[in-house]
Amino acid sequence: MRQSTTFKSTAGVLLVAIVAAVPLLLGPYAQSVARTILMYLILSVSWDMLVRSGQLSFGIAGFFGLGSYAAVLSAQYLNLPPILTILFAGIFVGLVAYLLGAVVLRLRGMYFAITTLALAEIFRIVIRNWENFTGGPTGTLLPKMAFNGDSVLTYLMMLFTAFIAVGFSLWFEHGKMHFAVTAIRDNEVVAKSCGIDIYRSLVIVFAVTSAIQGAVGGTYAQLYGFVTPESSFNVNYTLIPLAMTLLGGMYRTWGPVVGSIMLGLLGEYLKLFIPYGHLVIYGLIIVFVILFMPRGIVGLIQERFRKGGTL
Amino acid sequence: MKKVLRFLGVLVLMAVFTMSIFATGEAEGGEEPIKFGGVWPLGDITGDQGSKAAQIAIDEINAAGGLLGRPVELIVIDSELSPEKGAAAIERLATIEDVDFFVGGMSSGVHLGQIPTLKKYRKITMWTGAASHTVEEAMGPNQEWYFHLHPWDYNQGASYVEGWDAIAERYPEIKTDRWFLAYEEGPFGTASFAATKALFADREIYGEPFQSAAAGGGDYTAVLERAKELEPDVFIWAAWEADALPLMEQSKAIDFNPPLYVGAPPGWPADFGESPLAENVTLYGMWAPSLNNVIDNSKQFYDNYVTTYNEEPATYFAPLGYSAIYVIAEAVERAGTLDQEALIAELKKSKYQSPMGEIITFSPSNIISNQGIRKQKILQWQNGMQEVIWPFEYSTAEPVYPFKPWKER
Amino acid sequence: MLKMNRFQQIAALLAAICIGMIFLWRPTAIVYGVQRAGLYAAVALPMALVLGIVHIVNLAHGEIMMVGAYSTYFLSRTFGIDPYLALIPTVLVLYVIGVAIYKSTISRSVTGSELSQLILTFGIAMVLSQTMNLIATSQPRKLSLSYVSSSAQIGEISFGTYEFVFPVLAALMLIGMTYFLRKTKLGKAATAVGQNPRGSAVIGINVQRTYMIIFALSSALLGVVGSVFMTKMSIFPMVGGSYTMKSFCLVAMAGIGNLPMVVIGSLVLGIAESTIQAFPGGGGWSSLVFFVLIIAVILVRSFREKTV
Repeated sequence: MRQSTTFKSTAGVLLVAIVAAVPLLLGPYAQSVARTILMYLILSVSWDMLVRSGQLSFGIAGFFGLGSYAAVLSAQYLNLPPILTILFAGIFVGLVAYLLGAVVLRLRGMYFAITTLALAEIFRIVIRNWENFTGGPTGTLLPKMAFNGDSVLTYLMMLFTAFIAVGFSLWFEHGKMHFAVTAIRDNEVVAKSCGIDIYRSLVIVFAVTSAIQGAVGGTYAQLYGFVTPESSFNVNYTLIPLAMTLLGGMYRTWGPVVGSIMLGLLGEYLKLFIPYGHLVIYGLIIVFVILFMPRGIVGLIQERFRKGGTL
Repeated sequence: MKKVLRFLGVLVLMAVFTMSIFATGEAEGGEEPIKFGGVWPLGDITGDQGSKAAQIAIDEINAAGGLLGRPVELIVIDSELSPEKGAAAIERLATIEDVDFFVGGMSSGVHLGQIPTLKKYRKITMWTGAASHTVEEAMGPNQEWYFHLHPWDYNQGASYVEGWDAIAERYPEIKTDRWFLAYEEGPFGTASFAATKALFADREIYGEPFQSAAAGGGDYTAVLERAKELEPDVFIWAAWEADALPLMEQSKAIDFNPPLYVGAPPGWPADFGESPLAENVTLYGMWAPSLNNVIDNSKQFYDNYVTTYNEEPATYFAPLGYSAIYVIAEAVERAGTLDQEALIAELKKSKYQSPMGEIITFSPSNIISNQGIRKQKILQWQNGMQEVIWPFEYSTAEPVYPFKPWKER
Repeated sequence: MLKMNRFQQIAALLAAICIGMIFLWRPTAIVYGVQRAGLYAAVALPMALVLGIVHIVNLAHGEIMMVGAYSTYFLSRTFGIDPYLALIPTVLVLYVIGVAIYKSTISRSVTGSELSQLILTFGIAMVLSQTMNLIATSQPRKLSLSYVSSSAQIGEISFGTYEFVFPVLAALMLIGMTYFLRKTKLGKAATAVGQNPRGSAVIGINVQRTYMIIFALSSALLGVVGSVFMTKMSIFPMVGGSYTMKSFCLVAMAGIGNLPMVVIGSLVLGIAESTIQAFPGGGGWSSLVFFVLIIAVILVRSFREKTV
């Protein structure tokens, strides 16, 4: 039993190492695609972390955009070096989420989801209207980009951030938090009666996941060197990670990881072979996967393995 | 064990599939073609038609024997109106497809995302999009390989000043002292208003933002009421195609009749000309089918496009995409080589007679060295057609002034 | 019938005073506010129906409306008929499309979680809008109809009167839906299913069939809304997206299952938006009011209910 677990973890680590190293061998285009996939991977994983506690967020784009702006503005006004702007973005957004969460986490289900969506729009509109500080609708440029845009180094930067996010998620999955959070998701009344401080747990999870999303927003700003209200708060940053997590499988770390890699590669692939109209196929694939793999790809694999016995 | 094998088999399959995206293509024997890499938003009509028009240029060049004895090829990748996908497209074209030139472009936001990558490879770029001055700041000075065809927002503003001054001189009854600009609240509208305020400083300029129908808005009543109160000589709206007809309809509903009604969207809806409300709406633009009557190149391009694709070019991005290919092609012929320094020198000396009327030349703008088109045109809808009223050397009709009040239509 | 508790009475009084003041200052703000509220309510009511009974959030809501709009547009243009006439075949077509979408996709995912149904509808939305993009291109279209610019005058101020068709449409829909849900056999069954699906199945109601009919009805209603929408606004393949989000916000603000509140909420939002816009420079802030109000109402309601 112990042997098979060690075997599985070593195999897992090797697999991850190989997959992570592949873009380094394939050139700048592969690294560019990989960076985008990693970005969505981190967003998906962080979203899933919150979902595990039963709270649905539609505000990813809001924290992402806020983090982007925090990074650019801190570089502009506080002269922070690139890596520190990413950290600043994460901490700033985490704080904002903590304060907001204290108020809005009393909501549940669709009401919480809509509130996060509305908050995201409020961030966008306020930033757009505050021209003197943020540059308004035409956006702001970053004075200096991380590693001067070097393809390999920025890829490693994203990889590092992804490892941290996945690490957090795994720790969440296997630590004490996990039981608290799953208990809350399954039945709040019972959880409360077991002594779990629901509110505090939820606020912490919300703050941490939002901080991660803010930090990713910071990395985006460093990768492309600009922010605008329209592009940094684009609703795709909310919807696509949702689709990726659902495709891969919710409530577990590897679900969003697999989902983001598959959907990300699929998007690029389809575009090259069907230049006009690839998004129709993309949508159809999402529909089919949801219909035939309701627990996601990873869920399906786990079921198959369980049925077929151990290795 | 079988399960493991099957699982590994699936992994290998996925790996092969992944590799196929990233594998470098091999030249297929015969002459190595000269490659143009184009990035356009293919899901939007501007990118769809821009890329198709560029393909027409490519086909024409090949039919005429190619360039420097070699065939030419256009490889198009969709930017999906996303900055990161636009940037990835440039990376792929530069490294895997190994193109010689970059063409394409529409959105300023997407281009901002592409600029760091473009600067990395420094290939000759002939860009048909991006009007925002933020893009120019991002590109920066001393990028001699970068040629920007589309006028900057302040170029457009300046050309309108020139145009209206010329029109006011030739037609003294046309008054242009007080302006009201209704602009959409995004980057396009905001930059238009800023440019107008800066350049028309000797006139009275008022403005009010609104949410464009393209972004989910579409209610102009507040803006139009304020405009009506101020009684401007000229009313301009700077927004998107989706706002065109509803604005007219609401203007009619509140009985707002400015003497000059000007629309400045980048394009017009499909059936705008048919509406009786369109009559005598003035507009800014770079090209219209009516130029076929005045410019041979325009007619040739227009006929070719309609025959090939069975549709009319709907925006100026079509002739612009076509021009981008030819500007480069002509410079390559003159230089006789693909060597970048020689080519840049020839490109700077370009004098290409474009289907839009202008002879495209390059000169420095505020920051970059190679700015192509600066002048827009002022046109007017007459009998369902866009007629050019300025510049006078391309004009196809006289302006009708004042704008006929709604009650009389 | 209109029993209101203390809180609601005070709220209603305050609202009436505000509206009166705004009307005296700028009557058109109220006029346009009501018109816009009508549009919001008309688009949101079908979503409230589906959410309240079938309990799914349909992210393809706006796209179905878009399909209805295009259908009427093409019928009108091809046969030269007025959109209000072309509306009739559109409603039938959209009912069928609703059935098709439901049976081929959503019904099969009832076993999945609500979230997977959400993403399913997201996929459907993408397919619908991108397919329409291929068929019709992204260039916006609009029919020109003379009656759309009809206007009236209060004193010296002219304002558009055509847009009153939206509040009228919303009112008709509300009355129709309420009658349907309370007085017809199918409607009562649907209400039961919405409140307790398992219990309803036990007493013999065909839950799946009810879901399908409600979804298709909502689709047909969206056909009507889309057709009227098309007479006033330009249509393009992506036009539906922002209306999905706005409807979603409105329905959440009203409380799931509360149809009249959707209309009241729309009124509050519509008038608030147009009042802010009546101030110089207010244009950029009116959408902010929309979202702030929504959060405020949701939060206030949660504080009053003293949820966990």
